[in-house]
Amino acid sequence: MRLVTGFVLGGILAAGALGAAVSQTRVDPATGAQVPGAAPATTTPARPGPAVLNRAPRGGQVDWKAAVGGLRQSGGANPAPNLNQAAVDMTRVPILLPADADLTAGARIYSFGDYYTITADAPGAGVSLSGTTTVVPLPAGTPLKLTAMGLESATSQRTVDGQLISFVRYGVLYTVEVRCDAPTDPRCADDNYARGLAAKTSTVVMGAAARAAAGLGG
Amino acid sequence: MLRKLLLLSPLLLALALSACDDTKPAAPGSEGGEVKTPASPEPGPPTPDDEPSDGGAEQPSSEPNPPAPGPPVQPADPPASSAVSFNHNPPGVMPNGQGHGYLDRTVWSPAMCWPLQDDAFANSQVYGHGGGMGPAGTSQCDSANYSLPWRDNFCEARSRDNPLCAGGGTGHQGQDIRPATCKKNQYWAVAAEKGVITDIGSYTVTLVGSAAPHRTYRYLHMQMAALAVKEGDSVVAGQKLGKVANDFGGTPTTIHLHFELRAGVAGVTTDGKPVVLHTFLPPYMSLAEAYQRKLNGGTCS
Repeated sequence: MRLVTGFVLGGILAAGALGAAVSQTRVDPATGAQVPGAAPATTTPARPGPAVLNRAPRGGQVDWKAAVGGLRQSGGANPAPNLNQAAVDMTRVPILLPADADLTAGARIYSFGDYYTITADAPGAGVSLSGTTTVVPLPAGTPLKLTAMGLESATSQRTVDGQLISFVRYGVLYTVEVRCDAPTDPRCADDNYARGLAAKTSTVVMGAAARAAAGLGG
Repeated sequence: MLRKLLLLSPLLLALALSACDDTKPAAPGSEGGEVKTPASPEPGPPTPDDEPSDGGAEQPSSEPNPPAPGPPVQPADPPASSAVSFNHNPPGVMPNGQGHGYLDRTVWSPAMCWPLQDDAFANSQVYGHGGGMGPAGTSQCDSANYSLPWRDNFCEARSRDNPLCAGGGTGHQGQDIRPATCKKNQYWAVAAEKGVITDIGSYTVTLVGSAAPHRTYRYLHMQMAALAVKEGDSVVAGQKLGKVANDFGGTPTTIHLHFELRAGVAGVTTDGKPVVLHTFLPPYMSLAEAYQRKLNGGTCS
C-alpha cells in the first residue's frame, strides 16, 4: 500500500467525509434522512462463528453543497456526451470524469442509481471509474493494513492485473482502476499512471436524479 | 520467420473458426461507444498438461512470491459450527510458510450462487501440486489437487496488495478454484448474482451486482475467446459466463478460476483511523455456503 499524493481538488473539503458518515449513522443519500437502527461501523462486535452479513449496507451522505461547487467549477458541461443519458440521469451520486477526451470518447456507463461505473479503453489497457455511497462495515478487530493515506483518504492497491485507487470526495467513495493486458505494462507496474488519472478525474457531471437530490431541479 | 508463423497460426485459426462459430457473443451494441473485445487467441483443445508459465502465481515470473512473513494466524477459538458440512478447512487456516490467513467467517455474499456449474475444488494454485511453490516434480493434474478438503487461500503469500492480510498488507486477493477435472475449456463459470458485466479484460471478466452493496465479482482465467457474455450484458444468477481455462494474457497459468469479491468497505486502519475504500473481501465462506446449497439441491434462481 503506498501513499497516494497529488490529490488537490476538493481534498480538504471532503477528506474522510464518507468515513465519518458511515461510522456514525446510516443516511439515505438521496434525502439526507437518517435511517434508524443502523449501528456504527466501528462498534460492530467481532463474531466468533459463521456470520451472515445481515446488516443493511450503509449509504453515505452526499455532500451536495460541495458537489454543486465542483459542478460549477467544472463549468456544468458534460465532457462525455456519448455516455448513455438514461444511465447518467438515474445516477444519484455526482459522476466524476477525467479531463481526457481520448479516454472518455468511447466510454460506457453502467448505473444502479447509488452506484455507477464507467468503462473506458486505452491502448492495451482498460479503465474503470466508479462511484458509490454504499459501503459495508468490516468487523471490528480486523484493522486494515494501510501504511498511509493521502488526501481524501486516497489509497492505492496493486491488483493482479493493474492498479486500484480509491478516494472519498463529496461523501462518495470513488475508484479509479487500471487493468493492463500485458503484465509488464509500466502503467500497471506501479501506481503513477493510475494516480495521475485519478488526479485529473475531477470534472463533475450530474444527471436528473443527482440534480434533484442536490436541489438543482430535475 | 518460422517462429512468426507459429505465433500467428492460432490467431488465423481463430479468425477462420469465428466465421462459423455461432456460440460467440453477439457484436457489442453501439450505444455509449464501442465495446472492447477480448484479445487472447483461441486457446485450442484441452491440453491438461500445459505447463503454467507463471507457476500458478498469477504474476510475471520476474516477480517472485514474497516469503511468508511468519507463521500463519491460527484461530483463537475452536472452529465454530457451520452450515457447511462437506469436507473443507476452516476459513483463514493456512499451512506454515504459505502466508497469513485472514480469520473472517463473515459470509459477505450470503445469497451468492455457486459460481461454477459443476463441482470444483478450492485450494492453492501456487502451493499445490504443479504450482510454482508446490512439491518439486509434480503436475497440476495430480489427484491431490482434485480432492477434498477445500482450503482457503485468501491472503496466501503473494506480492499484490491486500490490506486485510496480516503481516505486510499483501496477499492473495481472491480464491483459486480448480474445476471438476484437470481439463480446460470444459466447465462453465456462472454469474454469482444478478448484475451487469461491466468490463472484459484480456483474462478478466467483471460482474457488478445489481443489489446494494453492488459487490464486484472478478473471474480470471476463463477461455476468453469463447465467452458467453459481452460487456454491458445484464445477467441473472447462475447464467453462463465462460469456461474455466488457463488464460493469463499471453502466457498460460494453471487451469483454474481465480474468483474475487470486492466491495466498498468501511473499517479502521492499524493506527485507529477510520477509512473507506474499495477493496477485496474474503470469498471463502460465501463460496462454501453456496456450494453447500448446491450440494443440497438448491438452485440459483
